[in-house]
Amino acid sequence: MKNLGLIAVLFSIGQFGYAQDVTGTFNSTRIVNSHSTEMLGKKMWEYRIEHRFGDVAGSNGGAQTAFGFDNAADIRMAMEYGISDKIMAGLGRSKGIGRPYTSLVDGFIAARILTQNKENGMPISAALVGTMYYTYMKQISDPQSVANFEGKFSRRIAYSSQLVLSRKFSDRISFALMPTYVHRNYVAQDDLNDLVSLGAALNVKINKSMGVILEYFYNFENENFRTTATNSIGLGFEFVTNGHNFHINFTNARGFGELQYVALTQEDWLKGQFRLGFSISRNFKIKKS
Amino acid sequence: MNKILFFCTIAFLILLFSFSIERGEWTSVNENTLDEMSLDEVRMALGGEKSEHYMADYNPEKARIGLELILNGKRKKGLFKSKAISSYFVCTDCHNLNAEFSDAADQNPVDRLDYARKNKIPFLPGSTFWGIYNRKTFYNDDYVKKYGELIDKAKNSLPASIQVCAKYCSSGRNLKDWELEAIMHYFKQTELHLKDIRLTFDQKQSLANLQKLSTEEKKELLKEIESKYTSGYSAHFMETMPRDDRKYGAGGDAEKGKYIYDNSCLFCHLDGRVTYLKLDNDKLSAKLFLKNKTNYSDLSIYQIIRQGTYAMPGRNQYMPRFTKDKMSDQQIEDLMAYLNQLAEK
Repeated sequence: MKNLGLIAVLFSIGQFGYAQDVTGTFNSTRIVNSHSTEMLGKKMWEYRIEHRFGDVAGSNGGAQTAFGFDNAADIRMAMEYGISDKIMAGLGRSKGIGRPYTSLVDGFIAARILTQNKENGMPISAALVGTMYYTYMKQISDPQSVANFEGKFSRRIAYSSQLVLSRKFSDRISFALMPTYVHRNYVAQDDLNDLVSLGAALNVKINKSMGVILEYFYNFENENFRTTATNSIGLGFEFVTNGHNFHINFTNARGFGELQYVALTQEDWLKGQFRLGFSISRNFKIKKS
Repeated sequence: MNKILFFCTIAFLILLFSFSIERGEWTSVNENTLDEMSLDEVRMALGGEKSEHYMADYNPEKARIGLELILNGKRKKGLFKSKAISSYFVCTDCHNLNAEFSDAADQNPVDRLDYARKNKIPFLPGSTFWGIYNRKTFYNDDYVKKYGELIDKAKNSLPASIQVCAKYCSSGRNLKDWELEAIMHYFKQTELHLKDIRLTFDQKQSLANLQKLSTEEKKELLKEIESKYTSGYSAHFMETMPRDDRKYGAGGDAEKGKYIYDNSCLFCHLDGRVTYLKLDNDKLSAKLFLKNKTNYSDLSIYQIIRQGTYAMPGRNQYMPRFTKDKMSDQQIEDLMAYLNQLAEK
């Protein structure tokens, strides 16, 4: 009986320990392109549909393509799952931007390793994200093409690692830094297998259900390689409803996943080479009985 | 002569011993022993009828498993994991395990909040499990409006009401026999004792000298004792407060409102712990409610507290309503007063 009483008391104390961690730094598990420090709750599923249209302006945009609506730069559908409150994993399939990859499958695991907490003095939240990409696209016969893969399985694979550091400064303002590393097993002669990029993001919440996000990734490039590469910039508008997260964004990055938006972005905002994108996510739990 | 003296002494001792047997355990009962007596024992001794779920005793191991099921919704022992009762809720999302009133007969929501604040316990929509074994009726009053014939059996049966809660209230499944048994053993273990109710000195004296009481006196004492604790919690559904009656927090006690927000609203909504609507102790959450304060929608505090939401396919997490007996209209105004304050933070 005493033990039960003790358990009940401890449980009550546990219930009162919840108010310390800072929550809602971002509204979703994604910022614009990047992962955030938010995780799905334990046993929570999320189905994501993400879409990027073609260039709004520039030579491939304008009225002729209904400002990009005629084209789909990339489409990703994914199922993601909260293994615990701090660990999640996901499996997605992207159309791929076709330069060079199409039919791209990605699998990732993300873990929040630090949680901003006022009481114990932890100033930031941090998450580690590891992603593996595999393309099952048809091999291109041209041996000069990266998509030739020389018939080797391993050449279809790429990886990325991301550390997301975030801080919620106030109820409305959150900031994040995202050092990111991308490794591709096989690249073109003028490209680099390993890339390092530093992302930064600012989230301004207008109210409980709407927010504006700005995100920028700066790639640390060797000037002799990757001369056509650009840095990705994204501007996102977020609408959160009960169980849904609707995200509209404008970005020069064509593709989803670090592999594409860090390593393969070549578009320039100033030339009108940015596009409208959106993502819709729906959270749910699967009833087991 | 010696023989006569010897037999007289023996006869006297037997008489004395018989007398003490006749008086029974009650003569030797001191106040501390009385306090530790379960209400079931006392009721039986006073000629009370056995409850429908009467259990002579509990098994500590089964009671422990029952608590595990209540806290976690499933049992985990080594590699064995039982199937979760519900994918969405555990019992303690809506029910406390501790006492919620200083007086076991009290049901007043004002006292309930005062007790919760004093003892730092959550302020939840469901009745506490503490003393549930000693209750006779469940899903009382207006719950029939929500559950209809589902509670026909449950109204007077603790095991049946547990099943209704598991299957319907928690959007889960019926309990297996061993699960129900374990939870019943936990409830039996946490039944009320005399120390938990407020008896007068005379009532205690009467109990200590039970054998002296006539049948009528026992019946009367049983009635008095049964009035000292809640045998069934009232449950009155309320309509959403009409716009004209809303004070929007004017004159409300923001300190009490903060306790309600932190220990009712955030208990489930903080970072979407139980449900999708994520709330925080921030001004944006407060503004969300203030913006909708005049509405009759789910985002109006006046509406959602009184009506709750319903489980539906694909959205089985729902919010149970707070009956008039669990949260008063004034407490809703206290909550609004705090939200006004939070929005200005």
